Amino acid sequence: MRHVARRPAIEHTKPLTEPVLLILMSLAAQPRHGYALIKDIEALSRHRVRLSTGTLYGALRRLLDEGWIERFEQEDTSRDKQAYRLTSEGRRQLELELDRFRELSRAGFARLRLGEA
Amino acid sequence: MGAVFRVLLYLYPQRHRELLGAEMQAVFEEGAREHRLLGPFQYLRFVLLELGGLVLHAAIAQFAHATHRGYLENQVRGTSAPPQDLPDDVIEAQNRVAVSVNQLLFAISHHQFNQARFYKNEERKARENLRQMREKYGIGDPRPLP
Repeated sequence: MRHVARRPAIEHTKPLTEPVLLILMSLAAQPRHGYALIKDIEALSRHRVRLSTGTLYGALRRLLDEGWIERFEQEDTSRDKQAYRLTSEGRRQLELELDRFRELSRAGFARLRLGEA
Repeated sequence: MGAVFRVLLYLYPQRHRELLGAEMQAVFEEGAREHRLLGPFQYLRFVLLELGGLVLHAAIAQFAHATHRGYLENQVRGTSAPPQDLPDDVIEAQNRVAVSVNQLLFAISHHQFNQARFYKNEERKARENLRQMREKYGIGDPRPLP
């Protein structure tokens, strides 16, 4: 009988870049168009990050490639003001990344406490 | 300055420019309007960052275009019509199917069967969406999708 080694259920995700993470976070609440994304990300990052148009659309294109976001037809938007929303896969990837951050931050605080003791 | 931005958009691959160029131009102009009110220094800083970012990301997009067939290049096998002949909705729907299939195959090949079930479901929804899009535009299905 052939034995197949059980593999741990590790997700095959790479850490997301900051612009991608912020875009996913912004779209998690509601669909937004390009400029609204820039403004929301600025607020979300407490004015630390302001994406340029090139950075924003480079990231949006990669997210469209991956199927993590989709273009969304809104009645009041024209072709030059297209809205984007998260797909179920995009939401799942965001949750995975936030879980990773939670684990990392837990480990970081534990190390800090060790250093203080 | 909008004209300079429009010219620099030509550094992007044609497909990227066709689909996202108008949006990018609109976003730049909205930002320029806002920064013009903040004074000449802020406006100049904004313009330099925007134009520099545009050139950099155009180079990245050209590299990606040369090495990778993604969303905008219509990666679905079995599509006889070239991407520019199809409505954007259909191209998007086709690529959603391709992405789901790739993810499904990846999950199966890595023994991640829970994820495979998830992607199978996503693939089913993506195919149904593609069928509806083709029906909407009266496009036949020339060859079966993978």
